[in-house]
Amino acid sequence: MSASMRLLVRRAIRLSDTNIQISAAARAAARAAARSSSCRCFSDAAEDRSTHFGFETVPETEKAKRVYKVFENVAQRYDIMNDAMSLGIHRVWKDMLLHAMHPQPGVRLLDVAGGTGDISFRFLEYVRSQQERQKRRAARSMQTPSWQDISNNYSTEDEDGPLESRAVVCDINKEMLKVGKQKADSMGISTGLSWVVGDAEELPFDDDQFDIYTIAFGIRNVTHIDQALQEALRVLKPGGRFMCLEFSKVTNPVLARLYDAYSFQMIPVLGEVIAGDWKSYQYLVESIRKFPDQEEFTGMIEDAGFYCVQYRNLTGGVVALHSGFKL
Amino acid sequence: MAALLRGVRAGRALRGLSSVVAAPTATTPQCSSLSRGFHRAAPRLQDDFKSDKPPPSSSSTTFHEHYQAHSAEQDNTATASHEGAAAEQASRPNTSYQDQSGEQGEEYETEEQLQARILTAALEFVPLHGWSMEAIASGAETLGLSSASTGMFNNGAGDLVLHFITQCNSQLTEILAEQHKQVQLGQAEPKATADFLRDAVETRLRMYIPYIESWPQAMSILLLPHNIPDSLKHLSTLVDDIWYYAGDRSTDMNWYTKRAALTGIYNTTELVMLQDSSPDFEDTWNFLDNRIQDVVNMASTAKQVQSTGEAVVQGLMGAAFTLKNLTGLNQRR
Repeated sequence: MSASMRLLVRRAIRLSDTNIQISAAARAAARAAARSSSCRCFSDAAEDRSTHFGFETVPETEKAKRVYKVFENVAQRYDIMNDAMSLGIHRVWKDMLLHAMHPQPGVRLLDVAGGTGDISFRFLEYVRSQQERQKRRAARSMQTPSWQDISNNYSTEDEDGPLESRAVVCDINKEMLKVGKQKADSMGISTGLSWVVGDAEELPFDDDQFDIYTIAFGIRNVTHIDQALQEALRVLKPGGRFMCLEFSKVTNPVLARLYDAYSFQMIPVLGEVIAGDWKSYQYLVESIRKFPDQEEFTGMIEDAGFYCVQYRNLTGGVVALHSGFKL
Repeated sequence: MAALLRGVRAGRALRGLSSVVAAPTATTPQCSSLSRGFHRAAPRLQDDFKSDKPPPSSSSTTFHEHYQAHSAEQDNTATASHEGAAAEQASRPNTSYQDQSGEQGEEYETEEQLQARILTAALEFVPLHGWSMEAIASGAETLGLSSASTGMFNNGAGDLVLHFITQCNSQLTEILAEQHKQVQLGQAEPKATADFLRDAVETRLRMYIPYIESWPQAMSILLLPHNIPDSLKHLSTLVDDIWYYAGDRSTDMNWYTKRAALTGIYNTTELVMLQDSSPDFEDTWNFLDNRIQDVVNMASTAKQVQSTGEAVVQGLMGAAFTLKNLTGLNQRR
């Protein structure tokens, strides 16, 4: 009890200090880590557990804060940087996620770490075009309706209401959600979309709420991946699908060398030039290396309780699309 | 308040964890791993428990028969070795910590069996949605699963059609086996081959009648290149089964010619059935009769031709000999 009180106090102190740059935060974290390791006998067991933040080692309690800072800084330029770093291929990856998902009309999507809303916009677009295609097909086949069809039509006119699909974008970072909302307003998408602040390890939703749970390029930033997976299992309806798009291990050795060179030489430079932030993009490429590979992540998803877990490599393993079902 | 919520969720998570079975996983990206069993979410599907035991080996509703045989085997060994535990488990389905290796126990179901159940449920929506993912989604919803579970079926509508074909084939095999048993017991007369074939093909084609309007779509799905191997396999097992129960035990070229003939008859009759509008498909059955008669006639005609040919040859030889005699070439001076 007193240990958790101590944790809360420390968190409150750090929250009040909003002007720390990332490098300063790194130094402060290093000092805090040194302090905590030097007075081990007084510190909480949780403080001793450390995790990776890129190639650094930080205490677990610290990682979430630092990730928050990273995304707070890059939020405004996030989409531009995505296009620049991946040469636009990230759009293809996200489209392939949607095609694999093939959502039926009327499903509810939870897009965790959805940030600027890319997946949700594509989802709504996909469902709406599918519904339009169905309506067109129905209209074409109804060119010469029989009396039976006409009377059926009258009775089923109000059934389109409940078939409305809804997407909920959930992100821990308010800045990213703000950028996403601005995008939605400029694209004119308003119905069927909600924006919620929430932590992937502890989602603010009830059980059995969603048909599809997606997390695109977000799960490697989560401190406790297994907790995020368990939360995903919890909020999904039975039969619901978990889909995760994430950077992964490149299988081809030649491509791997090129990819490593590109990641460590080019991307932080691009980050400095376009977004003015070398450290955040250094963290990005390092965190990709620390994330478990395809098979290991498949095992983690199965351990959380999902069935029929498969993965597909995109772009030779640069990105992997994992999918599991709650049965 | 938040702590209370967290506590409640933790309690639920613990209960959930205890009912998850940790099983050895396959490393291939396919999701058809045999040894994977799972426990159906107890409160929702508890009513289905007792009625949905793993199917007996004679009626297989899963895709590949050897998978089903394998799981039936595992069922038997699991239930034999965990009799006491299984009896306990039947009454306490939520806690399964003690039975880590008994995934194939009585109330567990493999992924294939669940997929088969979804597809069977989807069949009743085929008249409405056609052979498509929408039908599968509606089927999943009747089982209480979200429509997102259609993602399990990578082949989409092809999975549904192939499942239906497999189901029809196994139903036919049951009927033929039953008839065979009746004949063995002496309770029924053995039928002539032509009649047997006609009845078997008619029974099999009658299973399409509820779906006859959308059957052209199903046939076109079966003709897609990635479905052709599977559909040919099902067709060949069907024809083989019919001939086996008709009593064919040939081991020479006849084996191939008989099956080829029956395949031709079956396919053409199916096509005729698609555009038949007579009451109860009478025209189709007449067509079937005629084709089978043709084949039977062909067989007897072939024999007749052979014997006639022999007779003709002998006659010619005799005439030639007589001529030789008459012209005196045969004499030895």
